[in-house]
Amino acid sequence: MKSFFRMSYPYLLWMAIFIVAPMVMILLYAFTRSGNSMLTFQFTLEHFANFFTDPTFMRVLWTSLRIAFLTTVFCILIGYPAALFIANLPERRQTMMVLLLTLPMWINMLLKTYAWRGILMNFDLESEIKVFIGMVYDFLPYMIIQIHTSIAKMDRELLTAAQDLGANRWKSFTKVTLPLSVPGIISGITLVFLPAVSSFVIPKLLGGGDYVLIGNLIEIYFLTAGDWNFGSAISLIMAVIIIVSMWATKKLDRSAQED
Amino acid sequence: MRKLIEFRNIVKSFDGQVVLKGVNLNINENEFVTLLGPSGCGKTTLLRILGGFLEQDEGTVIFDGQCIDKVPPYKREINTVFQRYALFPHMNVYENIAFGLRIKKLGDDIISQKVNRMLSLVNLEGYEKRNVTRLSGGQQQRVAIARALVNEPNVLLLDEPLGALDLKLRKEMQRELKRIQQEVGITFIYVTHDQEEALTMSDKIVVMNAGEIEQIGTPLEIYNEPINAYVARFIGESNIVTGEMRTENTLRFDDRDFVIPDLRMKAGETVDVLIRPEDIAIVPINEGVMRGEVKSVVFKGVHYELMVETRTGTSKTVKMHVVTQHDLANPDTMEKISANDFYVDLDDLENGELTDQDFVSIANAQAWDENDRDISLTRVTHNIEKKTGVYQITFATDKKTEITVKVYVIHPEYVEDARHNIGISALDFFITQDEIQESMAISTDLKTWASAEAWNLQDDSPVDITDVKFDFDPASVTEGSYDITFATQGRELKVETTSRHEEGDRVGLSFGPEDIHVMRKAVHET
Repeated sequence: MKSFFRMSYPYLLWMAIFIVAPMVMILLYAFTRSGNSMLTFQFTLEHFANFFTDPTFMRVLWTSLRIAFLTTVFCILIGYPAALFIANLPERRQTMMVLLLTLPMWINMLLKTYAWRGILMNFDLESEIKVFIGMVYDFLPYMIIQIHTSIAKMDRELLTAAQDLGANRWKSFTKVTLPLSVPGIISGITLVFLPAVSSFVIPKLLGGGDYVLIGNLIEIYFLTAGDWNFGSAISLIMAVIIIVSMWATKKLDRSAQED
Repeated sequence: MRKLIEFRNIVKSFDGQVVLKGVNLNINENEFVTLLGPSGCGKTTLLRILGGFLEQDEGTVIFDGQCIDKVPPYKREINTVFQRYALFPHMNVYENIAFGLRIKKLGDDIISQKVNRMLSLVNLEGYEKRNVTRLSGGQQQRVAIARALVNEPNVLLLDEPLGALDLKLRKEMQRELKRIQQEVGITFIYVTHDQEEALTMSDKIVVMNAGEIEQIGTPLEIYNEPINAYVARFIGESNIVTGEMRTENTLRFDDRDFVIPDLRMKAGETVDVLIRPEDIAIVPINEGVMRGEVKSVVFKGVHYELMVETRTGTSKTVKMHVVTQHDLANPDTMEKISANDFYVDLDDLENGELTDQDFVSIANAQAWDENDRDISLTRVTHNIEKKTGVYQITFATDKKTEITVKVYVIHPEYVEDARHNIGISALDFFITQDEIQESMAISTDLKTWASAEAWNLQDDSPVDITDVKFDFDPASVTEGSYDITFATQGRELKVETTSRHEEGDRVGLSFGPEDIHVMRKAVHET
């Protein structure tokens, strides 16, 4: 057991260098003033104060949350019927369909987004709509696969039993299939909402220069403005939002299970 | 009793395979009916058609005077207890049972009243809030029954509901189910492959085989008067022998005549004769209607189960020549090789049935390299001709290590037993002490070495050689010749008795005409 534990040292080292260290640095940057020497830190909360008092930043945050939320909702609305349809196909066709769904995921996201830019150029749409379409397109497969997995592993005999007990197709869906696929929906939400709220490539390419989400904001502060401290503070705010929403969905999942 | 369900000529096939071949069956109100048969006989399919989960290809189901072919399952007044229970994992015990009532949108107070009544019917009071996935098999079973019965169906379908339970629990649930059925007073249609379950619980048993109904009757009728050998074998322990009607009421089997009640059989008709093991009494050897030798004794708790051989099988005795033979070693390659002289039946040669590979195995030819690993014999050369005589055969390895042995081509005598239609043949053989000592299954090896075979004289189909008799001790056999006797199964009757007997005892068997049940030959046998 001891020697087995020793085998994990390289991974612990890897995690320390590439995960823990950057996070500590972000924490450090977020709470300090710019222009520090390596030895003297001037701790401050002004970055957070700036962020939350500036209406522009607040609008960006609100837009990010709203578009991520809408993307998630639409992914569920489109994904659920699709997943249900696939789960009702014969086994071999199911594998085929899942393969077809995952196929676009093998292609670089940048490339797909550029393709969408080309397509959407021909339409006179608001930036937000374009970004929204790109996001739904990109994240939909994650939702479908999660929901499909939870429906496919459900015992089909349960639906027979529901019908036997007087439930028509709709009732057996709402009383059996739907509640039993909630864990799939929850993990689908996690897989869609989190990347959507922090995405920056899609808004950048599809939204044009005037459409800024929180991911773009971070990018601007790190790469263009060179203000690592403020960028870190925004990242930290994002991280907190993500952690809170993950905690909330977990909680929701658990209460759904107990029902 | 009023007729409640009527199956009319139900035909169903899956992927071109016919599962139900035109089933006709009536089921009355308040009956406990069991559909009994081996897996694949169509019993579950019939149940699913009644439940509405499958649609028949042909035929009609009448329920309470109405054709229900087009009625969807959720509108049928039938509920089902599924094989694997199919309880809803996201609901607790209470909600599972309340499921059907909630669909009907009954008031909470009525639901709670009905659910609680069901909980006490199946002895699960206090389990309302339990998670169904954490219940034991027996408890899940009870929930499944309560969930079905709470809807007050006219018919409850049970699809092998006790299959997943252990023996003790199964017995308990059998009594429980019977009690529940009597208490609620509705029709139970129960599917099982377990004959004991069927006998214990049913008012009526429907024995099915390969998509057809063989017999319908009460447990007593099915047990005492099975309609054919298939039903007799399926229900209870049985001895079934072939007999012939000499006159309308004289039955002849195993060279003995029995006067039986007139069963409207034609003189000369070949029939199956059933004698239940518990109907045969063991008596002193001179008193019974038959006598025989006890071949095996198995203790079954309340009784012993004896196999008594009343007629020996057809046998053939051959000589086994035990020789001392030393392995030939090839000093160039460090290989060793060995083989025995052997006998060959001229008929087999003429039919061209023997390949070089057969010669290798009959001669028990083997070769080893310097590390004692087996190596294959790739070359077989011989001067065998298709007439009796003595020839030579040479086995060799790739590296030319070789051995030459004698082959005796002979014309052996077959034993042909015309009365029982059995032929048997075996050949003398040579073998070394080592080979006998190394044998892990001596009877099987003796059969191989002697090329022992038995067959049906009429259609040449193979017949098992069940008995190999020899009087040497394989562990300490010495050079010399030994008699080996190969025999087919004779007539063995299974007897249940409470008195003790040893293998080899000679006993008399006694049974009367009332213990003999004569059946027409089944048209189809599986």
